[in-house]
Amino acid sequence: MDALQPIRTWNHEALRRQARLERSMPFSRGKAVATRDMVSLLEALLEPGDRVCLEGNNQKQADFLAESLAACSPQRVHDLHLVQSVLALPAHIELFEKGIARRLDFSFAGPQAHRLARLVQSRSIEIGAIHTYLELFGRYFIDLTPQVCMVAAQAADAGGNLYLGANTEDTPVIVEATAFKSGIVIAQVNEQLERLPRVDIPASWVDFFVVAPTPNHIEPLFTRDPRHITEIQVLMAMMAIKGIYAEYGVERLNHGIGFDTAAIELLLPTYGESLGLKGKIARYWALNPHPTLIPAIEAGFVERVHSFGSEVGMEAYVAARPDVFFTGADGSLRSNRAFCQTAGLYACDLFIGSTLQIDLEGNSSTATLGRITGFGGAPNMGSDARGRRHASAAWLKAGQEKNGGQTSVRGQKLVVQTVETWREPGHPAFVERLDAWQLKQDMGMALPPIMIYGDDVSHIVTEEGIANLLLCRSPEEREQAIRGVAGYTPVGMARDRALVENLRDRGIIRRPVDMGIDVRDATRDLLAARSIKDLVRASGGLYQPPKQFRNW
Amino acid sequence: MRGLAQSYREALARLRVQALLDPGSFSEWVGPTQRVTSPHLAALEAPVSFDDGVIVGQGLLHAHPVIMIAQEGQFNGGAVGEVHGAKIRGALLRAVRDKPGAVLLCIDSGGVRLHEANAGLIAISEIMRALFAVQEAGIPVIALIGGACGAFGGMGIVARLCDVIIISEEGRIGLSGPEVIETVKGVEEFDSRDRALVWRITGGKIRRTLGEATLLVDDDIAAFRAAAGEMVGARSLFLKKRGLNPTTSSLQTLQAAQQQLGARAELDAEIRDGQVLWSRMGLGDQVSLMSPEQFNRRLEALES
Repeated sequence: MDALQPIRTWNHEALRRQARLERSMPFSRGKAVATRDMVSLLEALLEPGDRVCLEGNNQKQADFLAESLAACSPQRVHDLHLVQSVLALPAHIELFEKGIARRLDFSFAGPQAHRLARLVQSRSIEIGAIHTYLELFGRYFIDLTPQVCMVAAQAADAGGNLYLGANTEDTPVIVEATAFKSGIVIAQVNEQLERLPRVDIPASWVDFFVVAPTPNHIEPLFTRDPRHITEIQVLMAMMAIKGIYAEYGVERLNHGIGFDTAAIELLLPTYGESLGLKGKIARYWALNPHPTLIPAIEAGFVERVHSFGSEVGMEAYVAARPDVFFTGADGSLRSNRAFCQTAGLYACDLFIGSTLQIDLEGNSSTATLGRITGFGGAPNMGSDARGRRHASAAWLKAGQEKNGGQTSVRGQKLVVQTVETWREPGHPAFVERLDAWQLKQDMGMALPPIMIYGDDVSHIVTEEGIANLLLCRSPEEREQAIRGVAGYTPVGMARDRALVENLRDRGIIRRPVDMGIDVRDATRDLLAARSIKDLVRASGGLYQPPKQFRNW
Repeated sequence: MRGLAQSYREALARLRVQALLDPGSFSEWVGPTQRVTSPHLAALEAPVSFDDGVIVGQGLLHAHPVIMIAQEGQFNGGAVGEVHGAKIRGALLRAVRDKPGAVLLCIDSGGVRLHEANAGLIAISEIMRALFAVQEAGIPVIALIGGACGAFGGMGIVARLCDVIIISEEGRIGLSGPEVIETVKGVEEFDSRDRALVWRITGGKIRRTLGEATLLVDDDIAAFRAAAGEMVGARSLFLKKRGLNPTTSSLQTLQAAQQQLGARAELDAEIRDGQVLWSRMGLGDQVSLMSPEQFNRRLEALES
């Protein structure tokens, strides 16, 4: 009741937003911004220290906006805090080299991993943390809410409604966090249309849009040419199908993007069918529209697929299979990274993927010295969701195995790592100590960048067999189970033969022959497609592979 | 438990031989246990192969005796060296003596083995001369081309001397390989990394279109076996239908070949890509995606 108490304002953020909009008025006509005005607009509305999200996903990149931001004057725009999924473009790195940005919270830095590491070593960048996608999205709503976001969309109409096309990816979650916390939403679009095929982001959430001079670049990251699948990968795929998918009755799953898992996809309609597994395994997927999934879809194995993003060339095929994929009224794919990651974490019974290094506890990492790659989505999908409540046969069986045959209060997700014992000559996949530890030291990180935690891993598949870590009863057994499938790597050679034989007797280690698999059957002739052209044929000509994958 | 067909392209030569001939009928001459290896490679301390990259012997195809020659593309690109060439020549001369139903020549070769230079070149000419002798004796020589190396260099010439060429879409025939042309004439002349272009110029479909290959089949060993079987079993029937029976009229064969070449010369010199030819023929722009069966049907309709 004290009249002298200063009046506290509760709309500080809204006022700041208003000021930003007023400063940018000279550079826009309504919501439309001309390409030549974009740098001036950004210089006018950004403030030093702003948290900025430059949409960059696995595939879709707000590349024009990234380049515009990098072209801003570091006198006017500096010390930004980038909060974004992926550091993929050279322009992203330039921001730090020029001092436009200073701090970074992110998930993945695939192509820029090397330059990022150099920035860290030269102290030109502060890294907050490397997140999984879901973690970063979560923090958008807690403590890393962007003040300005720059996203990529397929098209806008005059009013600023956005159509995201097949590659929805992160856009909804970024815009949601920004628009409803008084932030500024800027979109680059490939084209302006009179009438959008569908509205994915309503105009009232969007402040500015610009028609980019060139369409945003999309990499075909999920296309694996079956030509490169080896017979060893076929053998490992046979083991995964017979020894894991069939045994646990895995119906809901996510696959990594390597050739190992592409081999599994291509073996379902042949080997899987011959084992009578159609309708029993691999029915529901959290997966991008992998071209290598086409034969399994056509064979009736796959019933439903929800996707993080799209894949170049799969547009017409997806549109022609709406029973399988999630599609909009316009027929194009509706993807959504945040929802699909959630599905991968909570609604799938199995994750299987490859990695670069596995240690004796089963921790796996794709970090190598001198490169900061980050994680992306694998740790979300490749982790046991401890909060899961709903049961399934696969989840219960895995939980029971982990619990010594007793029924526990919870089940367990199947998290499978599939690797050849030697990645390449001189580089074993199994190591005593992960490079990640050295990287932690070199980069001054709080934690080593572990992709999948060892205590989440349920099985390791190599050409030597399957190690079932759920059945191990001590750290020693676990170590020997891993050594037991590590083949002729130094880690494998150092195994205790008697212990490994004991583990084999107990079914903790299973060799191909123990599963009734004749290694001589593991030929590429088992693949439902041996080339990209086979995939095109399997799709009835609907799949249109990008040029670099064609030989016709 | 088979997926697709058993790929001819991806199979090793030994597997091809086994699957092409009647089960268990093959017996090999100068096999790997005899270890007749290349003295030239040994002198260069390069790895040798116990069969020097070629398998020769006799067997049965649908119960007809045949002589089989199969190059291994995965050893030095199937290149012809002294021993390799001598084995092929020997097998051909054996055909002159034994008079089998046919000689099957599975070509998978980039040409002469550069390590053996002159010896390899001489071997190629000896193979050609022996091949003529086989034809003179009234025995058809059937080339099977579907390996990753195709039939290039000297073996490209040998291929065109054969009475019949069975080729898959993946198979290729040429003289200089794409990389060689690019090196000598520049990337503007021929971009060897443009795989689509390479196949539109040297691949099975264009070779069949131009009449240089006789039959286009699936990349499936069983399809190659069936096609070859048709020529051996009812060979006069098949070859007569095409007016190409070397056993009765070699002059006729030569005249037919001459006629074909004449037709080739009349093709527009501006046609530098198979696709242009196919479009002009009214086959559309999706020829590459047609299955061999669809392609053969369309082509035969045009030819008749």
